[in-house]
Amino acid sequence: MTDQLRSYLPIIIPLAIIEVGLMVAALIHIFSHKKYRFGNRWVWVVISVLFNLIGPILYFAVGRGETQDDE
Amino acid sequence: MTDVLRVENLAKSFGKTTVITDISLSVPAGSVFGFIGENGAGKTTTMKMILGLLKPDSGSVLVCGEKVRFGMTKTNRFVGYLPDVPQFYSYMRPQEYLRLCGQIAGMSTQDIARRSTELLEMVGLAKVSKKIGSFSRGMRQRLGVAQALIHSPQLLICDEPTSALDPVGRKEVLDLLHQISADTTVLFSTHVLSDVERICDRAAVLHHGTIVLDGNLADLKARHGSTGLRVEFSHPDDLARFCALIPSGLLADPTDTEITVRTTDPKADLAILHLLAEHDILPVRFEVLAPSVENLFLEAVA
Amino acid sequence: MKAFSSFLGKEFQESLRTYRALIMIAAFVALGVLSPLLAKMVPDLLNGTDMGGGAILRVPAATALDSWGQFFKNISQLGVLVLVIVDCGITGTELARGTLTNFLAKGLSRSTVIWAKFVAASVVWTLCYVLALLVTWGYTWYFWGNGPLPHAFLAFACLWVFGEFLIALLILGGIIQANIYGALLAAAAVIIVLNLVNIAPQAAKYNPITLAGGTVNLLSGQNSPGDYLPALWICLAAIVAVMAAALAVFDRKQL
Repeated sequence: MTDQLRSYLPIIIPLAIIEVGLMVAALIHIFSHKKYRFGNRWVWVVISVLFNLIGPILYFAVGRGETQDDE
Repeated sequence: MTDVLRVENLAKSFGKTTVITDISLSVPAGSVFGFIGENGAGKTTTMKMILGLLKPDSGSVLVCGEKVRFGMTKTNRFVGYLPDVPQFYSYMRPQEYLRLCGQIAGMSTQDIARRSTELLEMVGLAKVSKKIGSFSRGMRQRLGVAQALIHSPQLLICDEPTSALDPVGRKEVLDLLHQISADTTVLFSTHVLSDVERICDRAAVLHHGTIVLDGNLADLKARHGSTGLRVEFSHPDDLARFCALIPSGLLADPTDTEITVRTTDPKADLAILHLLAEHDILPVRFEVLAPSVENLFLEAVA
Repeated sequence: MKAFSSFLGKEFQESLRTYRALIMIAAFVALGVLSPLLAKMVPDLLNGTDMGGGAILRVPAATALDSWGQFFKNISQLGVLVLVIVDCGITGTELARGTLTNFLAKGLSRSTVIWAKFVAASVVWTLCYVLALLVTWGYTWYFWGNGPLPHAFLAFACLWVFGEFLIALLILGGIIQANIYGALLAAAAVIIVLNLVNIAPQAAKYNPITLAGGTVNLLSGQNSPGDYLPALWICLAAIVAVMAAALAVFDRKQL
């Protein structure tokens, strides 16, 4: 079984990196902004953490506010 | 003086609502032209037809002698436009936005750099490097002026440039327009009459889809003559004696020592001076009231 | 030409700064990884399942073709969904907000806007599609080794052309309605109609929707190019027609 598991590693690791990377990018963006097009901060945090890949994508695509707060 | 803009018999309706029945006006080069009308009078519609963004039902528009065509019009190279609420890309910085505007207008890289620096300095955004998304309304309006002027147009068209601003922002924008008018013809729409009074030398009043008053502001005021006289005395008794000499129907707005004589007779001021001298009444102030743009406007739309 | 390249530059800048490019690239790379993973997992999970009555399920070990099958399925479903979500505001957002007015008032031609948007969206889509393809190809080669892939170019081009068709539809829908819902409606309506048309089996050969998802059968040798070429030509013609409509509608649009 461990052998089988090991054979998955080269594929699981990059996938995990992409998923975690997107999630972190979304979280950074969520916490550095006050306004969102829909919903509020905690809704987007939950969505981004709970739904791998789709959550952060949804946030960036529809949730992200139009106006930039001061950087 | 040549006309930068000439509008002839323009008409426009949306579905069953006629917005513009018939408009003709001309804007001579070098003037600051106030386009006055109530909200919804059709000012924006007219301006968009001048820019070829809307298709007129009939009539024609000439900019610098060239005919404006709906869709893509070459005449826009002569024109700078500031929409009532200018919209920008919130992810850009002001310098980047002006560069894009310059490129679209077909300017050279050096010209864009020089002009952007000049204009950002002029509108007070030279040191601002944050993204446009975080700009206040006043800042957006000022950036709007800069983008409209990037290609050094001969005619600047502004749609209600001051209506969304606080008194400070309004003064800044009016001062800007005045400054620009040194080398650019300015046409701006407004429903704020004091703005027209402050910077315009020509004006037209749009009412119910037609131009009801049009011309040089000084001429208009002269043609409509004085609207009356305001006389102030040092003592209420003098005022009472004066009132006894004048038909009471002409008197208005009395205070303890002041009164207005309503008359449009150009000889009235001298006659009243004679009357005062005859009866040994000495006024402390004697003022001929000039018609305000407000009077002209109210008279025109009455 | 200068106006075109400037506006194209603006489109790319917008793609990057509004995170649209980031979403697309991340999603497609993830799908590229996911496809061989799913292909490999399915037999491992199912094998040895007791079917009851002593029958044990024996699923043959995965092959390179299973991996490509997953690739076509994932890209044509999730990938296309991401493409639509990311590009649904391509024209509608600008028209709804009025951000084009400043440029049109400076003499930017309307067709330049449409073409720059089409080219920018196409470049991002192509880049993402090729990335996903390369990632899947790499893993498939690593796990199973790559045998011959007959008609590989045509098989991969079909799905790409379908993506281009969707981009054109999103542009047209956004122009007509002047908001993102118009774009979503246009894409959704066309996909639903094409799926309904496919109920008639004889129509499948000519239906652009055939290009999305089904072309793994080309790689396996089960189908021949002739089964896809009619749909491909029709789809290309549809792209031209939709773009022409978008240009015509925008030219007459009162702003």
